[in-house]
Amino acid sequence: MENATSQSSRVEGYASALLDISTAEGEAVADEIYRAALALDGNAELINTLSDVRIPGERKQGIVDDLLGSRASKVTVAAINFVVASGQARSLGDIARRLAEMAAEAEGDIIAEVRAPLALDADQLDRLQAALAKATGRRVQVKVVVDPSVIGGLVAKVGDTVLDGSVEGRFTELREQWG
Amino acid sequence: MNMVFNLILATEAVTTTEESGGIDLLLPAPEELIAGILAFSIIFGVAWKYALPTLTATLQSRQDAVTSKLESAEKTKEEAATLLSDYRSQVAGAKEEAAQIIADAREAGEAVKADIVARANVEAEAIKERSREEVAAERERVAGDLRRQVADLSIEVAEKVVSVSIDAGSQRELIDRYIDELGGVR
Repeated sequence: MENATSQSSRVEGYASALLDISTAEGEAVADEIYRAALALDGNAELINTLSDVRIPGERKQGIVDDLLGSRASKVTVAAINFVVASGQARSLGDIARRLAEMAAEAEGDIIAEVRAPLALDADQLDRLQAALAKATGRRVQVKVVVDPSVIGGLVAKVGDTVLDGSVEGRFTELREQWG
Repeated sequence: MNMVFNLILATEAVTTTEESGGIDLLLPAPEELIAGILAFSIIFGVAWKYALPTLTATLQSRQDAVTSKLESAEKTKEEAATLLSDYRSQVAGAKEEAAQIIADAREAGEAVKADIVARANVEAEAIKERSREEVAAERERVAGDLRRQVADLSIEVAEKVVSVSIDAGSQRELIDRYIDELGGVR
């Protein structure tokens, strides 16, 4: 319990620091940090490597630079390197999520993390945002994470609520009904 | 005839001779007779005066004793008869009571037997019912397991088929459908 509280406080602290950076650098930075962090967090082997204390910090920084250098801004790469260098690579995803929540809360919105097998086009994003806003009764910022493991449809997470519209989710429902 | 007559005369002669001498021999002298009578009277009077009451009392006493014993015997006999009657009555009562006890015991035994049989029947019925329920539950469990296994297998196969056959176009279509569903339902 104490560890969970401590971990939560730590995530809160790092997210708050990154929010300060992104607020200073511009609105898009928080979203970019979020997407980059979740992309890295989705690779368990990479996270294990970045968490390994036997690997020097310079090597870890080199890995992050190689992966994100050409795809993200310097601020984003620096922010993620900061988290990894602090030994919080395993909390990267949680920190990114909390950062997005804080950024959204600052604007009075809530975050919907959407995992889909491919990127959504603008029309899909608009319709999804409208549908989720209608469902929650609040303005929703949709954060799409491309996840090839999701088969057919998408999975949206709003706060503690998970809306599983994937084929796998349908199959899981079927299993529960028949079980 | 003469001869007979002579005999009678001879006999009468003898008899006359004997009568004058015999009575005198038998009868005491008057003074002796008077003394005898007097002595007898004295003895009789004394006996009458003293011996007779004692004798009478003794006889009466003995008669009373005999009477008493007879009465006592009669009483004892009556008591014995009463006792015998009571005994017979008691024996009869005891026999009747014994018969009643046996009848009651038989009746109680029959009741217990009937109760035991009834309980055994109820218990047997309950056991049968439980067995039927257990068999039904087991059948349902096995059928459920089988259904689940078939469902899991079917879903697994369907998942594999879908994951292999689904292309980007289908993915996009499924995403659109879910977004429409989400917007429509909620």
